[in-house]
Amino acid sequence: MLASLGGYAAASRFLGGRYVIPDLVPDVWAESASAAELVRYPQKAELILLTDRPPQLETPLRYFTTDLTPNDAFFVRWHLSGVPTSVDTGTFRLAVDGHVHNPLSLSLQKLRTKFEPVSLVALCQCAGNSRSFFEPRVPGGQWGNGAMSNARWKGVRLKDVLDAAGVKPGAVEVGLRGLDTAPLPQMPRYEKSLSIERARDTEVLLAYEMNDAPLPMLNGFPIRLVVPGWYSTYWVKSLSSITVLDQPPKIFFMDTAYRIPDNAGAEETPQQLAAKTVPISRMAVRSIFVKPSPGEQFVAGKSYTLQGVANDGGSGIRKVEVSTDDGKTWRDATLGTDLGKYSWRLWRIEWAPVAKGNYRLQVRATSNDGQHQATSQWNRSGYQRDVIEHVDVVVA
Amino acid sequence: MKRRESMFVLLIALALVASAASQQPDTPSKARKVSKSAVEEITLPNYPLDVPPGPNLAAFQQHCLLCHSARYVTMQPHFSQTVWEKEVKKMVDAYGAPITPEEQKQIVEYLVAIKGPVESK
Repeated sequence: MLASLGGYAAASRFLGGRYVIPDLVPDVWAESASAAELVRYPQKAELILLTDRPPQLETPLRYFTTDLTPNDAFFVRWHLSGVPTSVDTGTFRLAVDGHVHNPLSLSLQKLRTKFEPVSLVALCQCAGNSRSFFEPRVPGGQWGNGAMSNARWKGVRLKDVLDAAGVKPGAVEVGLRGLDTAPLPQMPRYEKSLSIERARDTEVLLAYEMNDAPLPMLNGFPIRLVVPGWYSTYWVKSLSSITVLDQPPKIFFMDTAYRIPDNAGAEETPQQLAAKTVPISRMAVRSIFVKPSPGEQFVAGKSYTLQGVANDGGSGIRKVEVSTDDGKTWRDATLGTDLGKYSWRLWRIEWAPVAKGNYRLQVRATSNDGQHQATSQWNRSGYQRDVIEHVDVVVA
Repeated sequence: MKRRESMFVLLIALALVASAASQQPDTPSKARKVSKSAVEEITLPNYPLDVPPGPNLAAFQQHCLLCHSARYVTMQPHFSQTVWEKEVKKMVDAYGAPITPEEQKQIVEYLVAIKGPVESK
């Protein structure tokens, strides 16, 4: 397999003295740190720059007015600087090994032709989406609401691939790795695992297309794991290795990172941190405003469309309600096209404020399985945000 | 297969890939073309940052920027010294960063200087 690794290149640039840290210009820095910086990466549109090495790029909210997020606007999040930048589609092989009868080494051609293709629409959302809204603030990627994107995924079932390899009795978990590598040999590489039950539930896909096109390199070319309804920490990009395990593995990104308090709302307080944590998994029910944006001006007597998106972890959205009077009364929003229970759902509602003044607009969603949003929430890592969001507006 | 024949087959295959790519419909998601060769490749851009000045800047540059860019710090809000100590310790204990206790202290000092608790003025 040919796979050159950007991280090593970046590290060697640094070590070789060619990674230049520019002269210090404190004023410029102070300005740029407060303003959102838009950048363009290969195969991508202009996205909000959080970090450049490894890249974390947020999708601007203006893209959240269509059911499917264009591939070039789809958010980007890599953990370790050894980001894959080159893949030879002719020699690439996906390894399936471990506790199986017939270990496999699958070419992309084989994956596309030997297994039944399936497709579904699913929201891909970072566990730390909206982390910057947690109060008190917590360290980590300071995402706004744009660490999520919705796409139609086409690929093959993980179950079918596992069946072809013949899982031996006694298998408990499936370890998943991609082409990305750590910049230091002693650093844990990015790796996740799924229980054998989840891995074989027919809904987890190995996707080779999103929105009818190959995946952009930065979104996991050539194959990405799709775990519908679960946060995207499980959606291993540039998936290259599937290992069936008969013992629970020791994996840093399961055992230490990506954990939440062991309660329904992923809640704790800074004074009383939860004693027990568990790996994050299913997405919480949630809704956000896309319009209006904070600070937008309104005129009394005119009519406006408020709109946004709502999602849950796989039962689908039952209703979205909007309040324009600080939560005293709520009205049902109109839901957009239903693209399946794993897709987000667009919503919209008309609002014609009659009087001038300050208004607090709020939105809350209820899922088909009866889950509600929280009125408050905090955890140390800023994960699984499900707080009822608000936007304060002035009607002139 | 003889070498010349295999070369010929490869060229035909490449031509087929190229023609298939040119026939792809232009979908709303701007379906990108499959590159002519079988190798899909990108070059990551650099977005250099003016690293904020502060005490022990050299220690920060030497140890932290090896694995990640300075934006990992500059995007953060202001935190207490305790939080920054935990973050640096995490880099050492969890991610294996080779930083001595003395150097860790220096780095924390820098982080607190640029992103420490906001002082009341």
